Amino acid sequence: MFKVEGLKFKYPKNESDVINGIDFEINKGEIFGFLGPSGAGKSTTQKIMIKILEDFRGKISYNGKDITEYKDDFYESIGVSFEMPIHFSKMTALENIEFFLKLYKKNADIETLMKRVGLWEDKDKMVGEFSKGMKIRLNIVRALLNEPEMLFLDEPTNGLDPKNAMILKDMIREFRADGGTVFITSHIMSDIDQLCDRVAFIVDGEIKEMDSPRNLKIKYGKRSMNVEYKENNETIKVEFPMDNIGKNSEFINLLQTKDIETIHSGETTLEDIFIKVTGVGLKDE
Amino acid sequence: MNSRLAILVKGELHRLHKYNLTSVSVLVALIWGVFLFFLDSSLDTMLPFVLVMDATMMSIMYVGAVMFFEKSESTISTMLVTPVTNSELVLSKVLANTLHNMFASALIITVFMIIKDVSINIPLVVIAILLTTAFHTTLGVFMAYYQKDFTGMLVNVMIFSFVLFVPSVLFLLNVISGPIWEAILLINPIQAGQEIILAAFKDYEFTYKYYFSLSYLIVLGILGYKYFVLPKFQDYAVKQSGV
Ligand SMILES: Nc1ncnc2c1ncn2[C@@H]1O[C@H](COP(=O)(O)OP(=O)(O)OP(=O)(O)O)[C@@H](O)[C@H]1O
Ligand SMILES: [Mg+2]
Repeated sequence: MFKVEGLKFKYPKNESDVINGIDFEINKGEIFGFLGPSGAGKSTTQKIMIKILEDFRGKISYNGKDITEYKDDFYESIGVSFEMPIHFSKMTALENIEFFLKLYKKNADIETLMKRVGLWEDKDKMVGEFSKGMKIRLNIVRALLNEPEMLFLDEPTNGLDPKNAMILKDMIREFRADGGTVFITSHIMSDIDQLCDRVAFIVDGEIKEMDSPRNLKIKYGKRSMNVEYKENNETIKVEFPMDNIGKNSEFINLLQTKDIETIHSGETTLEDIFIKVTGVGLKDE
Repeated sequence: MNSRLAILVKGELHRLHKYNLTSVSVLVALIWGVFLFFLDSSLDTMLPFVLVMDATMMSIMYVGAVMFFEKSESTISTMLVTPVTNSELVLSKVLANTLHNMFASALIITVFMIIKDVSINIPLVVIAILLTTAFHTTLGVFMAYYQKDFTGMLVNVMIFSFVLFVPSVLFLLNVISGPIWEAILLINPIQAGQEIILAAFKDYEFTYKYYFSLSYLIVLGILGYKYFVLPKFQDYAVKQSGV
């Protein structure tokens, strides 16, 4: 659906490239996560993909057609939310949304959308009087109002409380269930972990790792069992290899004789993998 | 006019109102009105002068103010990801601000036609103010691309007007004189605007100067739009999107 090949980019003012040749492909109906530390080039990549930054090198195609060949009708089929929520502050939420709505051929039902994000009651309030979280939610409504095929979300949950973040994540999943495709950047691991079908780790403008969260966990996770038990008022920790654990007599003996406190498999979180991949260790290799 | 352009123009006008610029321009028109009302002896020369000011310097300032509001809210970047084209965006700004500013001029003129019984050729004054305002609004858009803040814009408008007014003043003071200078002065868009605005008042003598000024503003306006204002818009807009 969206294919990026050998993408390189340099800001006019800078000396060197901030995107150093990246390749990835987003399949239709997939939520693709772009994860990386601050300054890695996530927002830059998104801005290139949505045709805001133009002088890039490499090839990007959308539905099989080079994005440089698309005119402004490209925007009929995509929805974008930027890092910072953007609106006319001296107009009400509804005035803002209605203005943008009229610019598109396809129109979503804004009442349903605004109710979904809990903003319908505040629709006649000036956006300037909105809290940050409310502005972010309005931003999502704006990104969805043309019933896009594909969504580009730059750090969408940043600044949302857990309840609203949950609503937003549900909306993104529903969007996918209806056949939508999503490109999402974030540095909030748990969001990416819960949402994305595949993730790419980007550091210094290069993709260091790309796979499904599950496969990454298997690849980077330690195949081990960690057991904590109590003995003489002290907690003791032991680690066993996962392979043939059922035949490990020491392990079974422990379970049968000791006062067990916790048992965990050594599966790593996406967060640990992220640090491993983007951290100093990996850079040195 | 295509419908999207109409929506954009309507949106711009709506925002001019919401951001209080409409109130400001009504206020300015009223202040000029009161001022002119009491200054009744030299009315014949003052009214055209006020209209020229309104159509030139004020046009640049208004569109400048609008664009700085816009800058502070980064709303341009959102416009960039809608199906709206750059030319629709720039044109809607020029059209909306031209209409808006003409409304202020119309207010002044109406007041005077009713109270002071001034005779003005309406079609001529409409054409003159439309052209002059549209030209200077386009120029204002271009100037706003390169200013960091509104104060910078103000200073530049001052410098711009001062530089352009000096030759005209020198001519009035007879420091420079003669038909050749008279023609050269028309290269100044403010002077050209003044020429065609004066044509709407009685006792104006139509010479080549009128037709030259008229075509000059049209041609320079269109070329400026096409080769400077429109092509530079994308760069400006991208910069506004925090890039
Ligand atoms: N307008 C600009 N001009 C020059 N350099 C820029 C510009 N915008 C970003 N950069 C540089 O490009 C690099 C990538 O920035 P980008 O905004 O894409 O990072 P990011 O991954 O989105 O970071 P964050 O998580 O902080 O949002 C950074 O080194 C940044 O300094
Ligand atoms: Mg970013």
